[in-house]
Amino acid sequence: MSEDFTQIGRALPRKEDRRFLLGKGRYLDDIAAGGALHACFVRAPHAHARLQSIDIAEAAALPGVAGVFTGADLAGWTAPLRLAPPIELLQPTEMTTLPIDKVRFMGDPVAVVLAADRYIAEDAAELVRVDYEDLPAVTTIAEALAERAPRVEEGVEGNLVSHQSFASGDVAARRAEAHRVVEARFSLQRHTHAPLETRGCLADWDEGREHLTVHVGTQAPHPYRSQLAARLGLSESQVTVSSPDIGGGFGQKIALYREELAVAALSRHLGRPVRWREDRIENLSAAAHAREATCRTRASVAEDGRILGLELWMEEDFGAYCFYPANYMARVVAMILTGPYRIRDYAYDVKVALTNKCGSGPMRAPMAMASWVMEGTLDAIAHDLCLDPLQVRRINIVRSADLPWRMATGEVLRDVTPAETLEGAVAALDMPAFRARQADARRGGRFLGLGICTVIESTTYGSDFYKSAGIPGSGHEAAWVRIEPSGAVNASVGLMGSGQGYESPLAQAVAEGLGVEAETVTLRMGHTDIAPYGMGSRGGRGATAGGGTLYLCAQKAQARVLEIAAHWLQVNATETLRLRAGRIERRLSGAWQDAGLGLADIARRAYLDPTALPPGIAPGLDVSLTYDPPPMTYSNATHACEVEVDIATGRVTVGRYLVAEDCGTVLNPIVVKGQQQGAVSMGLSGALFEEVIYDPAGQNLSATFADYLIATACETPEITILPMHTPSRHTPAGMKGMAEGGVMGAIGAIANAVNDALLPLGVKIERLPLSPMAIRAQLRARERDPPE
Amino acid sequence: MEPRVPIRLGVNGRQREMAVPARRLLSDALREELHLTGTHVGCEHGVCGACTVLIDGTPARACLTFAVQVEGREVTTVEALAEGGDLHPLQRALGEEHGLQCGFCTPGILMTFAAYLRDHPDPTEDEVRDVLSGNLCRCTGYQSIVAAVLKAAHALRMKAVG
Amino acid sequence: MKPAPFTYHRPETLDDALALLAEHGADASPLAGGQSLVPMLNMRLAQPAHIVDLNGLTELGGVVITDGWLEIGALIRHHQLAHDPVIRAAQPLLAHAAGTIAHYAIRQRGTLGGSLVQADPAGQLPLIARLTDAEVVIRGPRGERRMPVRAFLVFAMEVALEEGELVTAVSFPLLKPGTRWGFELFSRRRGDYALASVATTLTLTNGKIGELRLAIGAAASLPQRLTGLERSARGGVPDAAWIAETARAAAAAAEVEDSPQAPAAFRRELVEVLTHRALTAALTPEPA
Repeated sequence: MSEDFTQIGRALPRKEDRRFLLGKGRYLDDIAAGGALHACFVRAPHAHARLQSIDIAEAAALPGVAGVFTGADLAGWTAPLRLAPPIELLQPTEMTTLPIDKVRFMGDPVAVVLAADRYIAEDAAELVRVDYEDLPAVTTIAEALAERAPRVEEGVEGNLVSHQSFASGDVAARRAEAHRVVEARFSLQRHTHAPLETRGCLADWDEGREHLTVHVGTQAPHPYRSQLAARLGLSESQVTVSSPDIGGGFGQKIALYREELAVAALSRHLGRPVRWREDRIENLSAAAHAREATCRTRASVAEDGRILGLELWMEEDFGAYCFYPANYMARVVAMILTGPYRIRDYAYDVKVALTNKCGSGPMRAPMAMASWVMEGTLDAIAHDLCLDPLQVRRINIVRSADLPWRMATGEVLRDVTPAETLEGAVAALDMPAFRARQADARRGGRFLGLGICTVIESTTYGSDFYKSAGIPGSGHEAAWVRIEPSGAVNASVGLMGSGQGYESPLAQAVAEGLGVEAETVTLRMGHTDIAPYGMGSRGGRGATAGGGTLYLCAQKAQARVLEIAAHWLQVNATETLRLRAGRIERRLSGAWQDAGLGLADIARRAYLDPTALPPGIAPGLDVSLTYDPPPMTYSNATHACEVEVDIATGRVTVGRYLVAEDCGTVLNPIVVKGQQQGAVSMGLSGALFEEVIYDPAGQNLSATFADYLIATACETPEITILPMHTPSRHTPAGMKGMAEGGVMGAIGAIANAVNDALLPLGVKIERLPLSPMAIRAQLRARERDPPE
Repeated sequence: MEPRVPIRLGVNGRQREMAVPARRLLSDALREELHLTGTHVGCEHGVCGACTVLIDGTPARACLTFAVQVEGREVTTVEALAEGGDLHPLQRALGEEHGLQCGFCTPGILMTFAAYLRDHPDPTEDEVRDVLSGNLCRCTGYQSIVAAVLKAAHALRMKAVG
Repeated sequence: MKPAPFTYHRPETLDDALALLAEHGADASPLAGGQSLVPMLNMRLAQPAHIVDLNGLTELGGVVITDGWLEIGALIRHHQLAHDPVIRAAQPLLAHAAGTIAHYAIRQRGTLGGSLVQADPAGQLPLIARLTDAEVVIRGPRGERRMPVRAFLVFAMEVALEEGELVTAVSFPLLKPGTRWGFELFSRRRGDYALASVATTLTLTNGKIGELRLAIGAAASLPQRLTGLERSARGGVPDAAWIAETARAAAAAAEVEDSPQAPAAFRRELVEVLTHRALTAALTPEPA
């Protein structure tokens, strides 16, 4: 890492913390709005049903109720969402703001009540009478893809909303020449994001100015505003989106949801502020779900474990509605599957189907499954060939001499260090000592296991990636840096944090580029009248796209400052000047010396004495910049997890957990460590506990926090992090990004660890979560029917 | 209109009066009637712990308590933890150990441990984790919170010794 | 998730509370700790017109030992059950089990009476009450009556309370001197309701089993005593083989229910494992 950084890399405390600790954070519900109406949605109790009639009379007559509205009402004020990007074998989808003809999943909103408070709104919601005609529902992907299956969306034939395939090299030839062909299966259960703060919004239509202000916790304020304006038939000039502090997002707070659109439309219709806060049951059953997919791999391998060819079949259960093109998440899994391994011959076939369940969206690591599938395949190869799983990794892994490595899908790895993190994790583990302990424990009837998972995390998608991958989107980001007349530094970017703690690390990026102390930089984010049009926070793009854009923009600002300083000091070349800690320094005989000017002096002149500026320099110190990152930036890590499986109860206990990671230049080590630990624990919670459960009729059985199980402090291990960062040569300041890979690595590492523990019992878990019931079911079957 | 019940209670050391419908949850009354928005609402069925406040010094879920029930009681919320601008040792330790990210669960955790450490000044890590299991955090993975609580316990013990 | 409207009453005496319940009949719901009832109200799964808040009834807050019984007021919180020195000395098993209920903040509010009336099949307190042959003290329009827990617990979430009646206390027989005990539960996460739980007490006479009690929770709609097994255990030599055999027998004898979350076969396995562990704990000498 560059020794030259003075601001980047500092363990600067998070600026947000003080207000959060004092209870003075300002989240959506903390914003006062006099006279605001409270919305409550009436939701369908059926998975699939025709809407016969909706009788709102009794509800509308309840004192305190301002109105009750249905899909038919809202269709008059809003445009439907039609997703029809020109992508091969992606069927177009469409939805109205609220359903008009039929409901597609349990929890689908069919009407909205506005009342003086949420209590009354709920009273009225109970009085809305809806006549449903039950329709047969499809609740599994097999049902969805069966012949003559009921259609979830009328326009989507066979429910197969996306079907994409790809082949590079000749996998059939590799299979023919292989020493062995090893197959493996992986099934990831349906998850949901469950941020501690549920969704919500506050919309306020200013009739006089014909302007809509929407307060909403959104990770991507500008794209959100564009969608909102378009669907309301307003110009972007008529809509301001302002994001307050967000109590967690994890991908759930990117899309413009139907409820939010309805609330905005109703504020405009009634000319009154309207607010909505979904309750936890709504959040767990009707916000967005994620991850439900099954993968099958077939690896053609040589005797020494080398992978000659790899084939993937993937099926994803997308739920009932598409807020994103349905190919998006599964496509990324397939695209980066081979990750850090030298696999030239690769083919995939990926199907995405609609079902009568809540719609899916990206959840922290939309490609979460990829590492598990790849590393589970490696373990399957090792077991099949009776090789050491570590050896199979070592023989296949991309080494620094192989870089840049072009994956079969065309993705290019540069400046990554998977072999190094693998060895770093292995060394820290002391593998021989673990194997000895494991053998000892087995003699005592205890089953320990160790799992390893190397992650290649696609963090930052440039526009070129979207274009070549056939996924709609832009990858650019935008920033401005403004030095005020007093020398105060303000900056903005299109990102919006949802709890990561952007304010310090992004101030550090600005401070580094500009030449001031990070404490003096203030970031203004989340407000579309203030922030420039960037694509917002998603994936792990915060550092590279957001921090990188700010860093470049601040460098541009510094150059402007130095031009003014050079003129002031009558120096010919700005190369002999720099800004450090807000002071102009001049290099004299190889040493930097204070030049007697501060940033405040320059700023005062720029704003208040512009005639003193050098020729050609305009007044003010206000710089903006947009930046499109490389097509794809990857960071990498190796996770290692030790578990014990209590074979009597099936309970999995996580022991040691460590991560060797390389995410390039680190803006702020406190935040990076927190993100890594948070991502790993979310992955472990998902792998062990979380599951959205639907019964065969499509009833959601996991809509409370007593049923959707998130790991507590007692089930979450200590996570040790070994920083092994190396800067990228292709991004600003060498940043690579992170914060999702922890989920990917955790799922793979713990699943592999549990299977390692169960190996002597002849049992293999192919479906998550790793619940005691599932593990016992397998062991029971094995006990009843032991192998020959 | 729904009848309102007048109530008097102490909140963070001040006597307050309000008139609320009987069904009004304490969490809503604190946030909306008294504008004490530091108490967060995360699940309204008592699992997540974000709304935990102290009633007569004892932790309680504000979402499982009706405002009318605290007539005559003393309620303490996160807003009362810091004294004269000085962060409480728990607040300081959570900041120092990066024991918070989005901050939504933080007030409930602060209030739970403000009471717990008062009664159990020298807990083990297992005891801290057991108590913390009543508060869900989706961001941190808990270990930094555990470290912060242990650190705050130490600081409080030192303070008590003087 | 906001409750439907109701009228709130906070009686200060038990007589006033009973009068209110008598007046409003089935429209009234008593409110104790509220840790189970209020979620039901918030979800509108229960919509009583009247809430009678029992928290002001100091009469329900006693802990007394008389005539071989430990009588605990219905309003005693789980936290106090777990920590009260009198309870810990007289019924250490009850104290231990109460300390495993839910979470710290919940234990500060949840009450003994509320737990018994809730009658959750997975609840710790109904299980211990059933194991120990506790009696429920009930007051109602026709005065006070006592009822064995065995009869009080009718079905999952259903108890033998008549309209207008309240549980005022639960009486636990004192443990005989030298009684050993064990308690084990299995839940997905710390604090969750158990998928299965086992409680046991036993005495030893000359190194052999004197009296054994064994109760299984969470496996079926009611906590169950395995009385046949208890009887046949008398005189057994409590070695490893006996423990294993008894655990197997308990699993075979227990009634277990099937649910998608926890299939019957799984619960039966848990009963065996937990019985094994509870008996082992009971038979392990306390460290000096």
